[in-house]
Order: sequence, then C-alpha cells, then structure tokens
Amino acid sequence: MLILKVAALRPIHGYGIVQRLQQMSRDALQIRQGSLYPALYRLENRGWLKAEWKQTEGGREAKFYSLTKVGRQQLEAEKEGWKRLCDAISLVLDTD
Amino acid sequence: MRWLKHRWESRMDSEFKYHLESLICDYIEKGMSPEEAEQRARREFGPINLAKDECRDQRPLRWLDNFLADLRYARRSLLKNPGFSTAAILTLALGIGANTAIFSVVYAVLLKPLPYEKPGQIYSVEIVMPERRAQFASIPVTVQAFVEWRKTVTAFESIGALRPWECNLTGDGEPERLGGARVSANFFSLLGVPVARGRGFAADEETPGKENVVVISDGLWRRRYGSDPNVIGRSIDINGRNHIVVGIASPALLVPTGTILHPMVSFAPQIDVWKPIAPTSEEIKNESWDHGVLVRLKPGITPEQGQQQLQASLNAFVHAQAPDVNTELIPQLVPIREIYTGKVRLRILLVFWASALLLLTACSNLTNLFLAKFASRSAEFATRIALGAGRARLLSQTLTETTLIAVIGGALGAALAKYGAALLSAYGPEDIRRLSDSHLNVRVLLFALAASLLTGLVCGSIPSWQSRPTRFRRVLVGVQTALGTVLLVSAALLLHSFVNVLGADRGYQIERVMTVDLSLFGKRYSGPDSRVGFYRELTEKVRSLPGIAAAGAISDLPATAGSTGPSRAIFYSSDTKYDTVVLARPVAMIRAVTDGYFAASGSALHAGRFFNAQETSEVAIISQSLAKRLWPQAAPSDVVGRTVRQGFVQGPQVTVVGVVEDARPGAVDRDAPYLMYRPHAQWASGPMTLVVRTALEPAAILPAVRGEIRKMDPNLPIPAVRTMKQIVYESVSQRQFQMMLTLLFAVVAVLLCAVGVYGVVSYSVARRTKDIGLRIALGAMRGDVMRWVFTEGMTPVAIGLLLGLGAAVAIARVIRTVLFGVSPNDPGALGGALLVLLLASGLACYLPARRAARLDPLAALRHD
Repeated sequence: MLILKVAALRPIHGYGIVQRLQQMSRDALQIRQGSLYPALYRLENRGWLKAEWKQTEGGREAKFYSLTKVGRQQLEAEKEGWKRLCDAISLVLDTD
Repeated sequence: MRWLKHRWESRMDSEFKYHLESLICDYIEKGMSPEEAEQRARREFGPINLAKDECRDQRPLRWLDNFLADLRYARRSLLKNPGFSTAAILTLALGIGANTAIFSVVYAVLLKPLPYEKPGQIYSVEIVMPERRAQFASIPVTVQAFVEWRKTVTAFESIGALRPWECNLTGDGEPERLGGARVSANFFSLLGVPVARGRGFAADEETPGKENVVVISDGLWRRRYGSDPNVIGRSIDINGRNHIVVGIASPALLVPTGTILHPMVSFAPQIDVWKPIAPTSEEIKNESWDHGVLVRLKPGITPEQGQQQLQASLNAFVHAQAPDVNTELIPQLVPIREIYTGKVRLRILLVFWASALLLLTACSNLTNLFLAKFASRSAEFATRIALGAGRARLLSQTLTETTLIAVIGGALGAALAKYGAALLSAYGPEDIRRLSDSHLNVRVLLFALAASLLTGLVCGSIPSWQSRPTRFRRVLVGVQTALGTVLLVSAALLLHSFVNVLGADRGYQIERVMTVDLSLFGKRYSGPDSRVGFYRELTEKVRSLPGIAAAGAISDLPATAGSTGPSRAIFYSSDTKYDTVVLARPVAMIRAVTDGYFAASGSALHAGRFFNAQETSEVAIISQSLAKRLWPQAAPSDVVGRTVRQGFVQGPQVTVVGVVEDARPGAVDRDAPYLMYRPHAQWASGPMTLVVRTALEPAAILPAVRGEIRKMDPNLPIPAVRTMKQIVYESVSQRQFQMMLTLLFAVVAVLLCAVGVYGVVSYSVARRTKDIGLRIALGAMRGDVMRWVFTEGMTPVAIGLLLGLGAAVAIARVIRTVLFGVSPNDPGALGGALLVLLLASGLACYLPARRAARLDPLAALRHD
C-alpha cells in the first residue's frame, strides 16, 4: 500500500521510493532495501504498477514506476480498509 | 526466447546497480569514504542474489521458461533411452491410430449430419400390420395410400414416394444396366438437394403419358456423356422407350440404396436415373405394398401428430374400401438418420469400443513403462526433493516428459489413422453408406489430440502417486490381461460366428455357381411368350456349353432378394370370402423359375418333383416353411398334390407339385421368407437371374456364357457376373469387417500384454539378481528358480484372465444379436482365447525365467 501511495504521486524509480518512504515516515520505517524489488515486480506483474525506462536528472537510465488505473482503485480500496481497521482499533483502545 | 530472458536479466541488473550506486553516492556526499559508503550501502540493501531470485520468480513468462526447460530435459531423456522411447511411442501410436481411424468411421457414418436440408425433419414411413407382425415387422406403402395421404394429411411440408426401377440403357454406346428409381415429382425438393443442372420434375409429369422424363446422376453424366451439358433436353433410350433428360442431380445427392429404406424395397446398389411415378388408375387400385414414402414435417409439428394423421387417414380409407377387413394399420415415422445408420450402428460402435479397449491396454502398458522408468530414477527424485525442488515442479517435469511421448505417439497415431481410414473407406463393406467419407478432418484430429493428451496426463501422473510401484505394476498387468481377454474372447466369438455364417446351410449351394442378372424390356419382349422363349433358349444353349453342369434362371435370387420382389397372399382353395380371411393367410414371395433352376442352385427337394420343361396346368413348388405354415400337421409328401389360390380367393387353382428346402438370404441374418416358385411360363418375369452351376471354376466359363447372351440379343446389357460365393461374401461383409478389425485389435492387445508381462518379470528378476544367485548358491535347483519366476509373473495374468473371462461373457450376452450360432460362453472361443493368452504371457515369463535360472551364482552375488 505504501509503495502504491508513493508511486501514485508521480513516476518514480526504486531508489526514489526508498528515499520517499524514509522521508515521509521521518525515518521511522526502515526496510531492507533489496526486498523492495520483489515487491515492485509482483505489483507490476499484477498490473497495479507500470514501469518505463527514463532518464534521471543525473542523466542515467532508470526504471520509473507509476500507478495504473487498477492500481489506483486498489490503493483506494486498501486505504479504505486500513482506515476502517485503524478506526476499529482506536475505538477499542479509546473505550474506557 | 533466450534473448528476451537475457534482456530482462540485464535490465534487472542495471536497476539494482543504479540503486546501489545512488545509495553510495549519497553516503559519500554525507562524508563517508567510498569503501565505507559501499559497505554501508550493501548492508542496507541486503543480499543482492536473494532479491534477484525473488524477482525472477515474478518474471511474467516464468512458467514458459520452466516449461521449455522441462521440454529440453524431456527431449534429452527420450534420446538417452531410445529403446524405452520407441516402445512407448509405438504402443501409443497403435492405440491412438486404431482409435482415431475407427473414430473417423464413426464420425462419417454415424455422427456427420446427413447432406439434406434440415435432415432432422425428414422421416421415412413404414406400416405395421399387427396381424402380420410375426412375418413382417413392418411393410412398405401402397401407391394408393401415398396418393390418399398427399390429399388429406396436413402435418407435412411435403410427402414423397419412391420405388426401385430397373433400367436398361441402350443406344449410343454399350448397352448398360443401371439402377433407377421412380420418384414423386417433389423428391429433390423434399430432400432439399436441388438438381445441379437443368430442372427437377414438374408436378404434372406424374400424369401417365407425360412421365417419360428423367434426371440422371452426376456420375452417369460424367462417365457416359463426358460431362456434356447439352445432354439436357436430349432423348435417351431406357427400357426401349424414349426419355428426355431434364436434369442432372447434384453430386452430393445421397439416396437410399439396397434395402436400407425398407427390407422389402430393394434398390440397386447405386441409383443413376430418376423418373417420375405416374400411377394409372389401374395401378392405384393395385394393392402392391412396394413404395417407400418420405415425409418432411412442418416446423412445430411433432412426429406423433404426423403419425396420428397418417394413421387416421389410412384406416378411414382402407375401411371405406374393404369394410370387412378388420384391422388397424399403424404407420410409423422412422427418422431418416435411422435409415442410414440403424443397421450398422451396433457393429460400428462395437468396433469403436474394441478400439477403445485397445487404447486402454496401450495406456496401461505405457503407465507400466513409465513406472519402470521412474522407479529407476527414484534416487534422482529423492536427491532433488532433498535439495529443495518443489513436488509440483517434479510433477510438471515428469508430466512434460510423458506428454511429449504422448504427443509424438499421437502424431504418429494420426498418421497411422490417415492410412487406416483410407484403407477402411477403400476396402470396407460397400453397403455401409458414407463409409467412403471416412478421412481425417478437424474433428477427428481434435479427437486424436484429446486422446493423446489425456493419455499423457493420466499415464504420467499415475506413477507419481504410487508409493508401491512394483505392486501397482502387477495390478496393471492384471488389468491389461483382463482387457486383452475381453478383446480376444469377443474376437473369437465373432470369428466363430463368421465361420458359422459362411458354413450355414442356406438351402442352396454356393460353390461353383455363378449368376448373371438380366432384364428384358422394350417392344421385343413385350409379350410374355417372347420372355419365356428367351430364357428357355438361353438356358438350353448355356447348358450345352462344355464345363456346365446345370443352368436355370430365377426372378429374384434368394441370396440377395430376401423379402423383396412380388408377394401374394396364399389362400386355401376352400376359402371364399377374401376380406374375412386375408389377414389370416400367409404372404409368400413369388419367384419365377425355369426348369433348370433347382438343379443349378442345388436346392434339396423334400417331396414331389421339380418343374418340367412344359407344365400343362397351373403348378407351384413351395418352400418347406410355407408348407408348414399352410398345413402344420401334414408331412411334406402329403402336401404334394394339394391346391392353393394365389392372391385372390377367385384366382385359379394352383397345384403344389413339390416342397423344397427353405432358401435363406446370403447373410443368414433373417429367417427364410415363405417362397412360392412358379414356372417362368406361368409368371413371365422380365428381369431374371441366370444361375449356372459349373464343373470347373466359374471364371473359366464366363466368356462363353457372355458370348451366348450377346448372340441372342446384342442390345441386352450384361452387368458384372458374380459367383454365388462373391454374393454371399458381400452379404456378410459387415460382419467380416467387424470381425477382422476386432481380431486385429485383439492381436495387438495380446502383444501389448505380453510386452507388459515381460517388462514386469524381467525387471523383478533384474532387481533380485543377488537374491536368486544366493538361492542357487545355497542349492536351489534351476527348476525351482524357474517356478518362482513363473509363479510371480503368472499370478497377475491368471487373475486378469479370470476377470476378463467373466467380463467377456457378460459383454457377449449384450452383443448376442451380432453373434451367429454361438452361445456367449462358447467353449471354443473361451478356450481358444485362454490358450492364446496363456501361451503369449507364458512365453513372456519364460524368457526372463530362463535368464534367472541360468544365472551364475558367483557373478550374481557380485552384482551390485
């Protein structure tokens, strides 16, 4: 879900995703960076992400991932699900 | 494929590289030394190869990759074991080939839609007369009933009639005898197969005087008229009369031939000329039950409704005409498909099931082979599972291997089937309509493909379930033996039936008898005396030829005629009122014979005498069963001298002068019809069959007989001369076809069984070489070793045999109708099958047993 969220903003390469994740979560989320790629490939395989090779700012070729239509729907669905879960949990926690 | 994969790998590499390098750069910017930065980056990234592997699992065409790898592996494994591969592929090719070839027949004859417009709406009509049911299951239709139905019945789009018509085509070229049919004018439109050129018949061409028009077949048009379109409109000479050719039938036109429309309506094997029926008012009154009727139902009307309308119309009409005949005639609608397939369906399906059993035998043989192969690779599989290969991967690999074999075997089988189907359509019985259409088409090939894939999957997945392959292989041997037994017993029963049919007593001789069908028509033979004179002179001349033992002629040859030809009710001379007694009297087929006929055919006389050259009063010779039917209490000798009337109660008295043996049809598939023979002078039929008994082989006399006929009338067509033996063999050709194919399949199945037994026994001997060596070293005699091996090898065979025998007897009861003179548990067939299977499997056991017995104990003990 997080990867989808990051890729939803604009096409982004793998390294950029790691950077953004760490930045957005204020370094709270630390992942083993190598394990990002199998996840990316899986999402691409499922048709939620699409990838294209583009030039980076530094002038190098890199693979940029962006969200597909299906991926966007999936993201919405997962966000919804997550929110419901969070609400439920906080409801339990907040009940005295 | 490979470059695709390569590109994919290199892109993944550069993606990873980019990530790492970016990470390193960042750290260097944060002030780390390059080495430190790289170490830090690699640590954060984690193990690269693991990540790559996980990515590879996500590769889109991963399955294809695996499949190709499996395929390469399978190919290598096949090439490494050429013996195994050849055995497996051949086994399967035989099974699939046989099955596919027979399926092409099943498709062409039974499944393919008939070449008519909406064939499901076309029915043939026959009539059941309850009082005559014992003698005739059903009878054809009178032209009178047909005309009445056409007037009153509304359930049908069209009603058409057809009856056989013999044609002598003369003028322009060699005189030719052709098969023809008189048909109602709507015949071609009823079937929905319009003529290819010219026109069909107009309704008013059914009127007497206007009916001399014909449609000729595409075959005749090409053969005799060189495809000349100008033949339309020309006049041709048929039966001494001019007929205008108005049309040429479609080459795809399929019409009933032989007796397939009804056993009492006999068309020629091929129809080349159609002419409109044109019943005169005289003919309409004549009660000849000799027309076939075809109807096309209106859409939305059920066959039952059509049947009820026919029945109401027919009975109202019959009762109005003959109020005292107390009967209810029941017309029946028979789907047209039934006409073409009804009689052969059972035989063809049985052959198909036989081929399916053969395929099953082949499958179990194949499974057996695979089991042996995989058993020898069990160590390899165990190692691979230990190293982490998934079971699914292993299964898919073995399945690929077996499916590859199945597909190669299937392809080879399809090639075999192509030749098989060609052979079947070329040499199969001619009287199975549409058999010649058997060839490989998309459906048949799909069938072969499905059969091979299924075989590959089943045979390939069984071994991987089996935890106790050796035991399972014995079970397979048992199954194979049982299947082989079923096939062999069926084949033996069919063979025995076939021999019985050939040797059956038909009431006439079939050795050294030849026959020629002749037909006298035209002005020259319009008077009965000219016809009688012709045949008298001809038989006398033929009789005087050297090498001829006897010669005569008959109007319808019993071997082919069956219940066709003219028939009459036979009355006692004391009968007075037709209507009240007619249904109680037998109907006899009337056969005109010349005085030499019985001597030539070799029919046995039970009492009385044969005909003399000159008979002064009305006389008849009747068949034994007719005599029994008329006078159940009287001995044949008492019957001689009694009188009957033929056809009418007022008819002339006919004296019975002799009783002869019944004459049964060539195929002996039906009871002998009641026969009444009349001297040709008293029943001067035009078409007659010359029957000649020769002292030598008939072929030697043939030219001389032809020459005599030519001398008497150069315009008379002489069709192919056939020996009685040929006729009988042709009439049993369906039986022969079924028997030969089943026998062939049975032999192949027995061979497969033997191979299966041999494989299992030699494998078990090889595996226990040390054990056997030890026993020999400890003093076991060679005979003991042989006995052990035999006991082990033959036990599953014996069990399979017993099961197979049981199943075969049960099946034989079901197929009783195709047997002849053989009980389902015929000891000869059962014993013979048993013996053959025991010999074959015994031999298959003997070879490895002998090898075991000759083991050198020292060498055996050192065996690893």
